Amino acid sequence: MKRLSLAFLFFLTFSQQAAAYLDPGTGSMILQGLIAGLAVAGLTIKTYWYRIRAFFGKDAPTSLLDEEEETQKPE
Amino acid sequence: MEPLSSSFRDPSGFVFSHDGCIYRQVSACFAKNFDSFVESGLYEKLVGRGLLVSHREVLDDSVPGTADCYKILKPQQIPFISYPYEWSFSQLKEAAMLTLRVQHEALKHGFTLKDASAFNVQFIDSKPVFIDTLSFDFYVPGEPWVAYRQFCQHFLAPLALMAYTDIELAKLSMSHIDGVPLPLASKLLPFQTRFNYSLATHIHLHSKVQQQHSDSAGKEGSSKAKSATVSERGLRALIESLAKAVTKLNWKMPETEWGDYYANTNYSDRAGEEKRALVDRFLDTIPDPLSIVQDFGANTGEFSRIAAKHCALVVSQDIDPVAVELNHRENKANGPANILPLIQDFSSPSPAIGWGNAERSSFLERSHCDALLVLALIHHLAISNNVPLPNIAALFSRITKWLVIEFVPKADSQVARLLATREDIFVNYTRQGFEEAFSKHFSIVKSESVPESERLLYLMQVL
Repeated sequence: MKRLSLAFLFFLTFSQQAAAYLDPGTGSMILQGLIAGLAVAGLTIKTYWYRIRAFFGKDAPTSLLDEEEETQKPE
Repeated sequence: MEPLSSSFRDPSGFVFSHDGCIYRQVSACFAKNFDSFVESGLYEKLVGRGLLVSHREVLDDSVPGTADCYKILKPQQIPFISYPYEWSFSQLKEAAMLTLRVQHEALKHGFTLKDASAFNVQFIDSKPVFIDTLSFDFYVPGEPWVAYRQFCQHFLAPLALMAYTDIELAKLSMSHIDGVPLPLASKLLPFQTRFNYSLATHIHLHSKVQQQHSDSAGKEGSSKAKSATVSERGLRALIESLAKAVTKLNWKMPETEWGDYYANTNYSDRAGEEKRALVDRFLDTIPDPLSIVQDFGANTGEFSRIAAKHCALVVSQDIDPVAVELNHRENKANGPANILPLIQDFSSPSPAIGWGNAERSSFLERSHCDALLVLALIHHLAISNNVPLPNIAALFSRITKWLVIEFVPKADSQVARLLATREDIFVNYTRQGFEEAFSKHFSIVKSESVPESERLLYLMQVL
């Protein structure tokens, strides 16, 4: 109970959103805008390309990140 | 109750040990973020896909927290902690992909990873699992990824250096606890990588931009960083681009002096067969239940696979990154899953690093086990590395309760090879010297010679 009330006090004292604790680096933050912009442009072009492929009955590839882990076969 | 010495960077909470178990405190300042993370369904989704370690909440007062405690969680316990500089190329690559999958899923639920440290990943049943339940913060539309630089330093840079420069550069993560600095990676990577779009942007350009802005710290830099925006679609594309960069990195394993690893012994087929049967029998003789078995000098894990039948987990270690890579690939493809292959140089095992030399513990601090396999290794330690037999026996007795060890005498062709180019100063390196040295710390339960070889296999119990 004591723990809960103290926790509640803390809850009120601090702002609810915890600040990011990492220094993201100014350069790294700025660069992301550029890389993301290029990647979006690339994706837009690909979207059109996949529409053309779809017209010929080919499926668009899914995201690398939605797939389950791939395993490299032992040599 | 003290936080673990590795758990101090993030004020959201910390990890601590209580009654031999690991717990995580969620601190009050992170209450809303944590509850929302669970309520959003993200926790369930990640645990369901095997990407995040599961936990249960401790609802009573049996485990004490600090004054600012909001909740205490008991996460799934990790049997053996390993670090990125001990992983093979594929293990680090899988850990990188896991981190990106977690971030990808988090964004779908309106969250983002606030860090991307490789130390947030551990291996359970041959699979990487994200272990930091408090890494999830609200995604604010338009904000770039706070952990982008950390991801590049912890994963992309070491993987690129291992693939393009030298596999040994994995060890740079040992001297740089927050990942390989990008200017260093950029300098060490071969010139050709500047024509590789992924590495040209995420490493070389990233390093340049970082250096350019390092001088503009202070108010100007801070306002620039704060004004940097990335659309949600852009952020997803960035994560996808990192995934592509990681996927494309492949390590072409060198042809080794041994050629075929499985054939790298001086055993006849029968001797090999008999040795496998002996190891199996010796492990079977041990009356205690075996939780963790360590295999030192495991090569590609041939004997670890035998040990895996007798225990919950085999930590299968070797100095050779090729052997460890092959070991991991074999376990992934054909099992068993309860083998954790790691790179370890026993002549100089992983040191304790970080703040107070305590943030990441040394190999010996983590190296507890019920049984230890030391096969075809003693001559490398005693002769190649000049470690006296009593020192070897003393060290092993600190690690294990049971020992299965092979003595390789001077008459063996492998030892003769080691002695061919140097003076034999090892007068005590005999069967008698070996038994005397080990008898000070162990009782010899059994010893048998390996047929068709000069070698002897021992089962010992620590005194």
